[in-house]
Amino acid sequence: MGNFPILSAVIFLPLAGAVLIMLVRAMTGSQENDVATGNKALTAGLIFSVATFLASLVMLASFDMDAEGYQLVEEVSWFANVQYKLGIDGMSLMLILLTTLLTPLSLIASFGSVKERLTEYTIAFLVLETFMIGVFCALDLVVFYVFFEAGLIPMFIIIGVWGGADRIYASYKFFLYTLLGSLFMLAAVVFMYLQAGTSDITQLETFAFAPEVQTWLWLAFFASFAVKLPMWPVHTWLPDAHVQAPTAGSVILAGVLLKMGGYGFLRFSLPMFPDASQFFQPMMFALSVIAIVYASLVAWRQTDMKKLIAYSSVAHMGFVTLGIFSFTEVGVQGAIFQMISHGLISGALFLIVGVVYDRMHTREIAAYGGLVHKMPVYAAIFMLFSMANVGLPGTSGFVGEILTMTGAFQASTWAAAGAALGVIFSAVYMLTLYRRTVFGQVTNPALEGIKDVSVKELITLVPLLIGTLLLGVVPNLVFDVTRESSLRALQMITGG
Amino acid sequence: MLPDYALLFIVLGPGLAALIAGLFQKYITDSGAMVLTTGTVGLAGILSVVQLFMFAFGGGVTEAVHTAGPADGEHGSAAVASIQHIITLLPWIDVGQFQADWAIRVDALSIVMMAVITGVSGLVHLYSWGYMSEDPHRARFFSYLSLFTFAMLMLVTADNFIQLFFGWEGVGLASYLLIGFWYHNKAPNDAAIKAFVTNRVGDFGLALGIMAVFVVFGSVEFEPVLSAIKENATVTPLALAGAAPIQELVIPFLAWDVPALEIIGVLLFIGAMGKSAQFFLHVWLPDAMEGPTPVSALIHAATMVTAGVYLVCLVSPIYEYAPWAAGMVTIIGAVTALYAATVGMAQNDIKRVIAYSTCSQLGYMFFAAGIGAYQAAMFHLFTHAFFKALLFLGAGSVIHGMHHEQDMRRMGGVAKYMPLTYAAMMIGTIAIIGLGLPHTQLGFAGFFSKDAILETAFAATENGITFAQVAFWFGILAALLTSFYSWRLIYMTFHGPREDSMPADVHEADSHADDHLAHDDHGHDHHHGDPHESPLVMLIPLGLLSLGAIFAGLIFYGSFVGHDQGQFWAGAIYTTADNHLLEEKYNVPEWVFWAPLFVTVTGFLIATFTYLFNRGFGRKIAESGGPLHSLFANKWYFDEIYNATIIAGSRWLGGFFWKTGDKRIIDGLGPDGITSLVRWVSRRQSAMHTGYLYHYAFVIIGAALVFGAVIFWRVGGAG
Repeated sequence: MGNFPILSAVIFLPLAGAVLIMLVRAMTGSQENDVATGNKALTAGLIFSVATFLASLVMLASFDMDAEGYQLVEEVSWFANVQYKLGIDGMSLMLILLTTLLTPLSLIASFGSVKERLTEYTIAFLVLETFMIGVFCALDLVVFYVFFEAGLIPMFIIIGVWGGADRIYASYKFFLYTLLGSLFMLAAVVFMYLQAGTSDITQLETFAFAPEVQTWLWLAFFASFAVKLPMWPVHTWLPDAHVQAPTAGSVILAGVLLKMGGYGFLRFSLPMFPDASQFFQPMMFALSVIAIVYASLVAWRQTDMKKLIAYSSVAHMGFVTLGIFSFTEVGVQGAIFQMISHGLISGALFLIVGVVYDRMHTREIAAYGGLVHKMPVYAAIFMLFSMANVGLPGTSGFVGEILTMTGAFQASTWAAAGAALGVIFSAVYMLTLYRRTVFGQVTNPALEGIKDVSVKELITLVPLLIGTLLLGVVPNLVFDVTRESSLRALQMITGG
Repeated sequence: MLPDYALLFIVLGPGLAALIAGLFQKYITDSGAMVLTTGTVGLAGILSVVQLFMFAFGGGVTEAVHTAGPADGEHGSAAVASIQHIITLLPWIDVGQFQADWAIRVDALSIVMMAVITGVSGLVHLYSWGYMSEDPHRARFFSYLSLFTFAMLMLVTADNFIQLFFGWEGVGLASYLLIGFWYHNKAPNDAAIKAFVTNRVGDFGLALGIMAVFVVFGSVEFEPVLSAIKENATVTPLALAGAAPIQELVIPFLAWDVPALEIIGVLLFIGAMGKSAQFFLHVWLPDAMEGPTPVSALIHAATMVTAGVYLVCLVSPIYEYAPWAAGMVTIIGAVTALYAATVGMAQNDIKRVIAYSTCSQLGYMFFAAGIGAYQAAMFHLFTHAFFKALLFLGAGSVIHGMHHEQDMRRMGGVAKYMPLTYAAMMIGTIAIIGLGLPHTQLGFAGFFSKDAILETAFAATENGITFAQVAFWFGILAALLTSFYSWRLIYMTFHGPREDSMPADVHEADSHADDHLAHDDHGHDHHHGDPHESPLVMLIPLGLLSLGAIFAGLIFYGSFVGHDQGQFWAGAIYTTADNHLLEEKYNVPEWVFWAPLFVTVTGFLIATFTYLFNRGFGRKIAESGGPLHSLFANKWYFDEIYNATIIAGSRWLGGFFWKTGDKRIIDGLGPDGITSLVRWVSRRQSAMHTGYLYHYAFVIIGAALVFGAVIFWRVGGAG
């Protein structure tokens, strides 16, 4: 590929699309919100996001799995000692692929589903995609922080403008939590720069912060990542945000934004603050296990489909932190895998809820029942993803759970046993949800005329379905890519 | 052993058939799906049964691939090199030492299991042509049946714990789907969830057991793990403890320091308890009878529920060196054998009687394995598959002939209408009660296997093995009850006057609209309530299973538990040098040989008196509602207790975490609390508010960025 800045290209391709759409809109001067114009904008956005996906495949092709360290590095002086520096390793590559896959799928799902201000909607998603990819490419702390925080804005707008009835409360809550975390992180970033004299991540990885300093820095980063992930007890923004967000927003939120928390722990907390990470291991285990058990039990009691899946996300992200803080190869590889897997599965589950929401305009579980008689294909797909969500072997859900728990077992049998309880509870809430919505008799007369999944909906669900099964059977596709980066993170924490 | 392509066909064929039947049912139609799945599984069945005969009698050993397994010369017992053949299909999980492949591993244990699984499954497929002929979702049904077969085969041909877990949960999924096959009704849905969740409780243990195996041995593959135990190799756990010979290794687990093999044995057995419906985790099995009867025969009698027994036998080296874990297996098995038999006596649903009977027989298998007679456990698993599948399919034939009637109180006198079904049920009953003449070859299949278990249990008692004595006596007592409830079933169903006091419209309500499809063959008018004999596709499986129920014990006694057993198992089952139970069972006192026959006849006589000669007697007991009868009829109130404690407790906790934890405490102190504060402040400064929250977002983040950038700039410039 020579010196072509492929990372920058992938990052800014969606933004270019957004700018183009804005320009066209400005030139045609059309301020109207008719659906035809909106659909054109959405189609244009889709083309750009597909192009981004293809570009990310080029990235994958030019990636050397056996090489250590960062690849495809780009470096341009920005200001002061701050470099505009990009680069990827295995784990960031997988998360980028997840992002570039989910974005076009969410845009497809929006056709016919979102009806107002489609042009702005498309722009928001494209901008968001740029920021998300940027987060996973950044090799400079400042660059990372800019992308990380900027990503808040479009998501905040997506929920606040295209959300449900209670969208203001939800977006406010989302904002308040994330901002709180961010401020601590900002302070830490500034402090680190002052101490180390650089914001280059590769250099910060080798810079030895004093143990007591590490503790504070670790906590500051933790504040931000824990909210993003989210971990108990700072998780309560997530159910509200999901319930109010439009379907596509939920897909991206659960599929990608939550992963930034896990990514942050692996990219910053472990390598830069190894002593503090070791120190806080018991706390992280405790919080992870609480998240798994607590959120699973709460999920069981939900009457709103989206809330249930949101709580399920909290529980599943608990496995991610469990794996990361086991400091074992099995646990860390499992955690990265769990992030990818959860991105596919939860994304699909939110799409699945969206399918019936678009038809019935309610997310109340009680409004459904007996869907299998009217929507057999839908029922089959829903079953498959339900099973993936409960971690049935053969789906990607299993691999992440068993590996993270195995990793945790090496550090604490308590943590492993507690997390394994989640294996029981996930079956309880997921099968209950499925049974109430899909099985049984059709009791709600409004369901009589409900139509099975459309071709458009199949196009969004089938790639995720294939991904979930493929990674369930051949997870090495991911492990081969992420192996070096996992080992590298572990090496830094064990002081090798 | 069969050539590789045949093994591949046996294992993967049903999976492929399930996939095609499930995905393309629109294009290949119901009949296409039925022919495809039945043909595939049937052919796999024939191949597997041939393989078993070859292996047992045809010098299969010479053809087999000998892996250079460590000869157990040191420990003496198994002089024969272990025989196994592994076809590696694809690497599955490759993370550090966590290596698991998709593989097909064939040894004596899996050869036995493959024959049982595909043999019974093929017959059940065929039987379902008749039984399910009126169901509008046949393609789905056959797809699930084949999916189950595939998952079960993957379980028994795994070469590592992870693939075993895949099969283990895969059969759980198939079981869930098939129990809830009639998903429009409440009861099957409830039962399906109950089965899945209860199994998950078991899987909680199994998963932790597998993790413990990995951490202790640094591997999840059977070969290195089991070899290390046999050789008492020094292992270096990945964590938790330092290097030590495995049989002496102690690891911390939760609050305790326990021998590694003991805790692994206990955890794996918890998994087995769930899958095999053992005491405490048995509650799902009777409810699973909500599924179509062929499913009950295949999954909830012959195959899936025996997976736990298979697991314990597969990891026999663990239990050989973990006396406490083995003792737990023994006592749970013994209690289950007796408990389920007591409940079985007081049930009126024909399928539930057989379900509890299954539970009880599984208990026999477990306590046999627990005392160290794994071969006897596998033998009973093998013979039980025939007669229990036969009993279920026979019951299904009755249910089919009676237009979906399952309550034995509304039956009676059916023998006249269904002579062939009656004959099959009689054969099954004689087999399950284990009727046979000691010291002779006269007896049905159950006689050989059950007596082998009881004799080894007595021998184990004399060796002082933990709980062996309890197991022996519970086994004898359960044999008495088995005979009683089995004959009770026969008498209530087939003998006496025809008790068709049900109003005709009740039958109609249960019948499907296209009921006549199945009944036209016989010239019956389905509005008429008379039972009728089942069609040929249902009778053929009954006939073949009857042959198995009669002869399987006689034919395979020598190979499984007799003098050829060492050669037959060929290292697949491991016993320590001082475990001679299979030889010692020939030397037990004379009365031990005769005790099973004595209790069996006693049970028969009591049942004959109370349910044949004096039919009102049994009903009177039931109506009087004595405390013992109530206890049995209500399954010792297990469901009630679980509902009131674990389930209600979890529900309450879920609600508490949600309403109090999330809403009141976290939100109340967090964002909502801050909101109120902000509102209070803002009432004074409302002029500055534009009302759009995202304006603030931009302002705050913009300010933060500018602020940060300025700092960097200055610091950078200074540096």
